[in-house]
Amino acid sequence: MKPFTRAAFLSHLSIAVGCAALLMAASLLAQPSPSGKPGPTPQKAQKLTASAIQFERSDPPEDLLIPEDTRVATYENVILQLTKTKKFQHVYRSGDRTAADIPDLVILRLIPQGFKAGSQKQREVTTITGATSIKVKVQFSSRDGKILLEKVIEGKVRFYGENLRATYDLSKKVAAIVNDTF
Amino acid sequence: MITRSAQFNPGVSTKQRKMFRRLLQLASLLVSAAGVVFVATAASAFSQKLATPQASPSTSIPHVKCVIGLENIKANTKGTLSMLPTGLEFATGKNKVDISTASIQDIFTGQESRQDVSGPAGTLAKAAIPYGGGRIVSLFSHNVEVLTVEYVDSNGGFHGTVFVLAAGKATTFKEQLVAQGAKVTTHVQPPPQGQKP
Repeated sequence: MKPFTRAAFLSHLSIAVGCAALLMAASLLAQPSPSGKPGPTPQKAQKLTASAIQFERSDPPEDLLIPEDTRVATYENVILQLTKTKKFQHVYRSGDRTAADIPDLVILRLIPQGFKAGSQKQREVTTITGATSIKVKVQFSSRDGKILLEKVIEGKVRFYGENLRATYDLSKKVAAIVNDTF
Repeated sequence: MITRSAQFNPGVSTKQRKMFRRLLQLASLLVSAAGVVFVATAASAFSQKLATPQASPSTSIPHVKCVIGLENIKANTKGTLSMLPTGLEFATGKNKVDISTASIQDIFTGQESRQDVSGPAGTLAKAAIPYGGGRIVSLFSHNVEVLTVEYVDSNGGFHGTVFVLAAGKATTFKEQLVAQGAKVTTHVQPPPQGQKP
């Protein structure tokens, strides 16, 4: 076996010391913060409770043209996904008069903020272009109009699938917010 | 050598010829009469066949896809969309859903294109074609029309349903529903999906 020269030994030693220093730094950063100081981890949001939810339709701004089939598919997909969460005893549709008697009713609105009409053919031929996306502000409010939660989400179809699949993606994201919030 | 010579009787042969001619005339008369009767019945039947769809065009269209929005009907189910005197009816093998004209709040039609080869199986088949040949298959598409019907239930709850029909059929349905008294508002149509405004 060939013995190390002085220069080679020094270089190996410096690499080993550097790796050890990096490991120590990483382990120090990974340690939880002391109990007295606030840590970087976010506090868990307090969960809301409601026996029923009503999904109200919201009209898009005048300068934002969204095809009606996209709006209707979004509405129906969200109703389906809200029901699937099983977080509420009843999911009321927009305009349902029977929701008036529910005391702890939460009202959900999806306020349209952006829409980009893509093309299925373009997506499948080019892979990277032609995505359809719909951006909305999800708003939960109480009956008296108090905003309980607001969040902006975006539904997309990027590669395969029809344009209306973006509305399914959006509704799954709404359901995920409902699962986290209620 | 014994030879037999045929005796020629001119009186008998003319009678036979006349009889034969009459028979031929009768037969031709019978055949022509039968032909006239046959043509007349065929023409009336053909005109009936032609007249039936003209009297009620596109009353019932099979292979219509209900994308979403009907109770007890799964998304993207194919069925028969029919125009009834009271409204619309979508029927599959098991279920049947009616939308009454009085409950309809608005009707929209739009044009789109659909891939000729689509769905999970189609996507797999395209992916299996070597050297990106699936992209060539993706170029083939056909135009369809989308019929969106918005209606309310007995409690006032809003419902919407989206149907995909062959090109030109959705407009016919909309016109028939409007003629029945369905509500329609005037709206600004965005450009078809896939086209920049």
